[in-house]
Amino acid sequence: MSSQFSSQKTRKPGERTFGLLLVLGSVYLFFQAYSIAGFSELSSAGAFPMATSAAMVLASCIIFVNTLKLPAAKGERFAHNCLPPMVAIIMALILVYAVILESLGFILSSFLFLFITIQFLYRRSVLTTLSITLLSLMVVYVIFRLAFQVVLPEGIVPEREIIASIKALWR
Amino acid sequence: MDSLSFFAMSWLSPELLGLTALGTFLGIYVGAIPGLSVTMAVSILISFTFSWDVNNALCLMIGVYMGGVYGGSRTAILLNIPGAPSAIATALDGFPLARKGLAGEAIGLSTVMSVIGGFVGIIVLALAAPSISEFAITFQPRDYMMLGILGILLVGSLSGNSLAKGIFAGALGLLIGTVGLDPMTVEERFTFGVIELWDGINPIAVMIGMFGISEALHQLHHMDKAVIKQKISRIIPKWVDIKKYLPLSLQTSFIGVIIGALPGTGGDIAALMAYDHAKRVTKNPDVPFGEGAKEGLIAPESANNAAVGGAYIPMLTLGIPGDAVTAVFIGALFIHGLNPGPLLMIEQPHMFWFTVGNLALANIFVLIFGLTGIRMFSKIVECPKGILIPLIFLLSIVGAYAINNAITDIWWMLAFGVFGYFMRLYGFPVGPVILGVILSSLTDENWRRAILTERGSVTDLFIHLFSSPLSTVLFMSIALILFTQTPVWSKWMKPKLARRFSN
Repeated sequence: MSSQFSSQKTRKPGERTFGLLLVLGSVYLFFQAYSIAGFSELSSAGAFPMATSAAMVLASCIIFVNTLKLPAAKGERFAHNCLPPMVAIIMALILVYAVILESLGFILSSFLFLFITIQFLYRRSVLTTLSITLLSLMVVYVIFRLAFQVVLPEGIVPEREIIASIKALWR
Repeated sequence: MDSLSFFAMSWLSPELLGLTALGTFLGIYVGAIPGLSVTMAVSILISFTFSWDVNNALCLMIGVYMGGVYGGSRTAILLNIPGAPSAIATALDGFPLARKGLAGEAIGLSTVMSVIGGFVGIIVLALAAPSISEFAITFQPRDYMMLGILGILLVGSLSGNSLAKGIFAGALGLLIGTVGLDPMTVEERFTFGVIELWDGINPIAVMIGMFGISEALHQLHHMDKAVIKQKISRIIPKWVDIKKYLPLSLQTSFIGVIIGALPGTGGDIAALMAYDHAKRVTKNPDVPFGEGAKEGLIAPESANNAAVGGAYIPMLTLGIPGDAVTAVFIGALFIHGLNPGPLLMIEQPHMFWFTVGNLALANIFVLIFGLTGIRMFSKIVECPKGILIPLIFLLSIVGAYAINNAITDIWWMLAFGVFGYFMRLYGFPVGPVILGVILSSLTDENWRRAILTERGSVTDLFIHLFSSPLSTVLFMSIALILFTQTPVWSKWMKPKLARRFSN
């Protein structure tokens, strides 16, 4: 899909390893598929998974061999072109966000996540980041939690009590 | 005359008119927000409209459906993130157009072509519903199976530079779809003894991961580059353009209706097939496909909206959903005490004409909202990436969580997000993975039904396959796609054919 990678004449750093991992993973999945029902019947529960994993083994082998034929891309390093520190840090931040989401609740964890990532990627003053974070969090909360009634983890914030008391004020 | 009054029912009642307008407007934005699917929105709507009058509920949901199928194209064009699977093909040429600063023109053109496609779908639904349903009854399980495989091969061969990578991605998707308890024998498949895996991996989590997270991670590579100011000076498309592309739009609309009418196959496959068709019939595009060809934008957009009308054909005549959204609609009709199926058209023909009229009305609202809301919408792209990307992550996580209120879905989404990032990095197409996941159970079940009816004999399967014209055509298409990838083709046939055509 990403057009920047569509015409491939050279091999990217880490591509051989990725190709090898795909071959190994496909072979492992093929044996898992075999263990469902073996070669017992063509209509068994394992027949279709075996066919798909066999296609994966075949395709990944072709891909791996083709990759080996390509010359390495000049001047590209894995840590620079393939997994730059920024991408790795963001991946880690998303992971942390997912871990704290249920315990801290949607509002607090999303606030922390948005604040840190926007500050890190947008690089403006703390006050600007803070106001952008609060505004976007409010919009998301109103659309999803209030309009679409999506259930979001509450965590340690007593949301329902707060909403109820706000509603009570209007009466 | 009776049918006409039912057709016009939602046009004349202010309440129904307003609800259809609201539904279409919501649908466009729901469809456009990555991770928020039309299916999800319609299912949520069922839960708080089941106490309403059935007509009111249907108006709102039909609006969301029609708007949502169209709305997916906007984020595909502006952000290269298809808001819905039916917009996967739209991104291939729509996004390059936006990068050239033609976002407004691309959106305007896709709106008009979507509406044309939508009307073709509705007209066919109204005129041909009975006869098309008769044709669909003759489909054998093997035909459904081959349609599934053909869909994956098509998306694999057209969205990447190597079919091997496309096949790998498609097979991976099919495999992901089989995870869990087998629906026929309740045997565990790829569950590794984990009970949470019994229900399988949520396809929406895979989709959000592969498209939302992995795309946003890729965008981080280009943080330093300035965002291209999206020129949206011209929204109403040029009359010349409409006239020029109308034949293609009509052709692909018919592809869309037919694919949409096939049970299980909806706008996503219709759009990809239409894209492939456009690629084949356009001999000398002004701009190559994949770099911003208008043909590549028009074909999938006409087809996926035409597929809406098509998807209603099996639903209203047979009670079989044409796609995921119509499956939810069947649930909604049941809740309201209606029984979709062959008897619905005989006992309650007014439901049929009401639906047709309402679809037409929603389609008109797509045109109105589609051509007016773009300026506001395009601001999303002008929003700095440093703010937009964190928000995409946030919406992806909320979207994944909201499907089942399960944190497990977030883990799957993240895993597929990171895996998808590396797949994209090394030139693998991610579209086939999603298609594989969606088509997995259909292909698996129909393969087993097909082989069971032949009492396990592959020879009998082949003999009977060639006795049906439809099966033969499907089989030959699959064989042809695979054959074009073999060394025999590239070393012998291709140069020969090329020589013959150049002489």
